[in-house]
Amino acid sequence: MTPVAAAFAPSVADWREGTRAAAELLVGLGTAGEDYPAACVAGVEEHGPYIVLTRGVALVHAQVEASTREGLAVLRLDTPVEFGHPTNDPVDVLLAFSSGGDHMAMIKAVASGLGAGLADRLRQAADPAEAERHLAEVLDG
Amino acid sequence: MSDRPDPLKVLAVCGLGMGTSLILRMTTETVLARLGVPATVENTDLSAARSTQADVIVGQGMHVDELTGAAPVVVTVDDFIDEGALEARLRPALEEAGWL
Repeated sequence: MTPVAAAFAPSVADWREGTRAAAELLVGLGTAGEDYPAACVAGVEEHGPYIVLTRGVALVHAQVEASTREGLAVLRLDTPVEFGHPTNDPVDVLLAFSSGGDHMAMIKAVASGLGAGLADRLRQAADPAEAERHLAEVLDG
Repeated sequence: MSDRPDPLKVLAVCGLGMGTSLILRMTTETVLARLGVPATVENTDLSAARSTQADVIVGQGMHVDELTGAAPVVVTVDDFIDEGALEARLRPALEEAGWL
């Protein structure tokens, strides 16, 4: 079973804080090390906000490290944040994942979940526990 | 242009080549299957894409400058989940190359 976590926040100061906060959920789960949030921010600084992969949704992640294993989290914002993406801003659903090396099955599940309305289910979840159930359901197929 | 390579070698590209591009790869595989084009799709990062021989590269609009010229056909799309949007870009690009 892939561990999942969800948190809701009213707002964040900027995309860096949002990215860090989403990745911190994985640190809290124990699937990523303490360096992981900074690595996720650095990836966007280096390559641009390409992780905003569809309207309103970012996929926060960084390289596989020795300390990482598979985990999936979501940070939902009441007030969306700008990443500087030309078409998909602003972002209110920050999915974050960590990987132990082979994350194909997990990402495939997330991709088909997003194609089937996962982002809106996360937006409409009454509380983080419900959002975690939506993540777990997607991963269970 | 020449006959379509069989299978078409396609790269789905993002910054790191591990997460976002994997999602793009899945969307690309679905669209190419719908178009009836036999293809192998791999996901990779920007720098590897420039040094990998491929027939088609699919990436994000913000990376177009870094990808242009790296393959005969380069298609950019802003939404990595939207199969319809990708098909609308990929179909004319493949037609222009004489591959569809």
